[in-house]
Amino acid sequence: MSAVPAMPRQSLQRFPSLVHQRKVPAQPKELPQKANYKIHLIRDRGVRDHNQQKNIKELSKEETAIYRNSLKNNICIEMLRKGYHKSFSEVYTVIQRWDALRDAAGPGSAIWHQKPLEEQQEKLDQLQHFLTRAEAAQRAGYYEEVYENQLALAQYFQEVGDDWLSYHFFECCFQTATKIKMDGGRKEAEAHSNIGSVEEEHGQLEKAAEHYEAFYHLTVGRIWKDETGRSHNSLACENLWRIYTLQSDKMLANKECQQAIKTLIKAFDMAREGGNKKLEGEAAYRLGLAHISSGNPQTAITYLNTYMEISKMLEDNVSLGKAYKAMAKALESQGKILESVEYLENFIKIAKLNNLNQSLAETYSCLGDIFNTRGNYEKACQYFSKAYETALSLSELALIEEAQVQYGIAKAHEMMLTVSKLTDSADCASVGHLLTWKMNRSDIFGDPAKPDKLISMQDTKDGDKSIAIMETPDIPENETSTEPVTAS
Amino acid sequence: MAAINPLSNPKGVKLQCELCNSPAHLQCSACKVTYYCDSDHQQADWVSIHEKICQLLIPLRITQPFSSSAEERSHSLEQLLLRKKHLIDLTLKEAQKHLYGGRHADVIPAAMHSLSFTIDVFGLATVELVPAYLILAEANIGLGHLPQAEEYLSQAYWTVLKTTDCSNAIRSKLHRNLGLLYSAKGEFEESLRHFSNDVYFASETAGTNHMSVTGGYFHMANIFFRQNKMDIADSLYTEVTDIWHAHLSKLLNVHVNESSRSMSSLEKDQENLDENQEAEALQILSAICDIREQAPKKDPAKIMHILHTLTMLHFIAMDWPKAEEFGKKLLLTTQQLPEEKISDDIAILLRLIELKCTAK
Repeated sequence: MSAVPAMPRQSLQRFPSLVHQRKVPAQPKELPQKANYKIHLIRDRGVRDHNQQKNIKELSKEETAIYRNSLKNNICIEMLRKGYHKSFSEVYTVIQRWDALRDAAGPGSAIWHQKPLEEQQEKLDQLQHFLTRAEAAQRAGYYEEVYENQLALAQYFQEVGDDWLSYHFFECCFQTATKIKMDGGRKEAEAHSNIGSVEEEHGQLEKAAEHYEAFYHLTVGRIWKDETGRSHNSLACENLWRIYTLQSDKMLANKECQQAIKTLIKAFDMAREGGNKKLEGEAAYRLGLAHISSGNPQTAITYLNTYMEISKMLEDNVSLGKAYKAMAKALESQGKILESVEYLENFIKIAKLNNLNQSLAETYSCLGDIFNTRGNYEKACQYFSKAYETALSLSELALIEEAQVQYGIAKAHEMMLTVSKLTDSADCASVGHLLTWKMNRSDIFGDPAKPDKLISMQDTKDGDKSIAIMETPDIPENETSTEPVTAS
Repeated sequence: MAAINPLSNPKGVKLQCELCNSPAHLQCSACKVTYYCDSDHQQADWVSIHEKICQLLIPLRITQPFSSSAEERSHSLEQLLLRKKHLIDLTLKEAQKHLYGGRHADVIPAAMHSLSFTIDVFGLATVELVPAYLILAEANIGLGHLPQAEEYLSQAYWTVLKTTDCSNAIRSKLHRNLGLLYSAKGEFEESLRHFSNDVYFASETAGTNHMSVTGGYFHMANIFFRQNKMDIADSLYTEVTDIWHAHLSKLLNVHVNESSRSMSSLEKDQENLDENQEAEALQILSAICDIREQAPKKDPAKIMHILHTLTMLHFIAMDWPKAEEFGKKLLLTTQQLPEEKISDDIAILLRLIELKCTAK
């Protein structure tokens, strides 16, 4: 879709060279004595050297004008004298618009500090080159060529970063493209796609969607391909999918779940039509998430299943992991904890196989979370400690810290149970237990009913972790505060 | 007309012909301050400008009585200056009028007067001289005296180059004349360069879509036409027609709105297009119309467009018979068009013309 012709060089040289290279004719060596004498005389009078004077080229009127006038003036004249009046008025209005924009922005704005357009030779040269070519083509009635030149100009300004200029020329392209009837609307479609992408860059999603939709409708059932061999229709589908997804993201941020789901369904259809499995899966995944957040886990599960199948088919373990995780979340919100856990454990298997430590750590903490809320603190502790270990191997500080805190919380919950039981029973043995724990603050504190737990606790060798453990159980300490006073 | 003999002049007084500076034999009997070498020159001066300024010359050419107070002296000097400036304006306007009337020979005495008064008031190297130079040059081009014209234009060009604060309108005019000169001499490249300058400076004053740029475009188109670059010429002619069409439509709309409110206010609206612009428009558009009609491959849409523009022009100029004539032509052409549909604008215009003609 991008057809940039060869880089042009300015036809108008900024300044013609002043010194005209011309060989000084050699002095005839042997002259008759008299003549030699005469030449000598003339030299003495101060008319030094005629040849040297001729060395400076006489400038034509044109060249003097180049020196005298401004760049804008020169370029305009250059175009006009060849009869390119449309290019002239185009350049002229563009410069005027630039000035108007600058005045509107006022002093202090970014555009105020920029060099005025009429002094940027490179840009003016580009404008001149492509516009005159376009005009010549237009006169001859070759609209394809007009289109290509305008497109090249638009792309040039896009590269340089002049947004409104590139937008302006993309629109020109579009105008031209509507006049091209021979190719069945192919150029028109391309122009739609170009404008769409510019609008998307500017964040005008609605307008972009409109243009992409037009692009899509024009390309349905066609076999046009761009130079990379990609069919236009699939490109349209992909673009539309992206726009719809972006739109739905915005809607979700505004809590418009139903709208978002509608848009996502459109995106899903597009992805399916475009035949890109990966995008289809992605769309399904987003739909699933949207359904979960709108409180409809059952529908979410069907979409997530699709996503899972696609991921399996593509052997994409990362997305499979994502699918499992989302599925677990959906099941959890339905209250099917067991199934949810099952999915997560499935995922862990995959993650371990593929060395996906990042998601592994996340899943461990996710599992820990589930058990933590369910009151199965022992298991929660296990998972959190695994999460911590994985995080350690990743040596990612944020993750490590998070795991530490979570592990601490779970551990605290776990100990809470025993401590409160001991305090409630209030017999000699329990008080003894509490006291010993209080004295050495190590892990030998436990319940005789659960001796195995003591052992499992001894695994915690890391210093950091034990700090986390000891800091969290503030409550048991306060409850038993009477005894430590007497003991000390 | 009184005869005088150079030999009988008072000592030290040389009476010179107003036009050619040779010894004078005749005196204008009306003002008694103007002299001529023969009756031909007197006749030429009278037709061109003297009739208008005969009496105005008297206070300039008789010696002022000496006033005793400095105040009075400065006052009379001021008066003199004002009179001269008035004469500059008057002579220039007359010259311009002759020029638009196509009476090139009559232009020269008036313009020469203007030039000499300007030099008298402003000195030799000022922008004020340029309009007079330009008129002289144009008249000379019209008369076919190209070397003369070139001399005047070179003078004007030099003056413009030397002064930095020259208005763009004058620059544009200067370049147009230079362009005309070179096209008359057959140096097309040079002439195109000057016309380009003309268009550029005209755009600087009023934008690229103003009617003041059409003159430059039109002359450029003529050159391309002569060089046989038909596509460029055609595109330029179309551009010129478009600009005029847009402008005249706007004027006509104002017109129609006015007349729908009150018929009497219609006469007031005529200032929109001044005499010069009207003459220029008529010249340009008629030429384009001829070219379109004589083209080997007629394009009815284009002919219709130019006819429509011309009809509007005649209507706005209140030239009813012409407007009617062109209206009929226009109607004929529209019937030739494949899509037998008269646009609203044309229909309204034709009805208005009919109204005017029956009112008469």
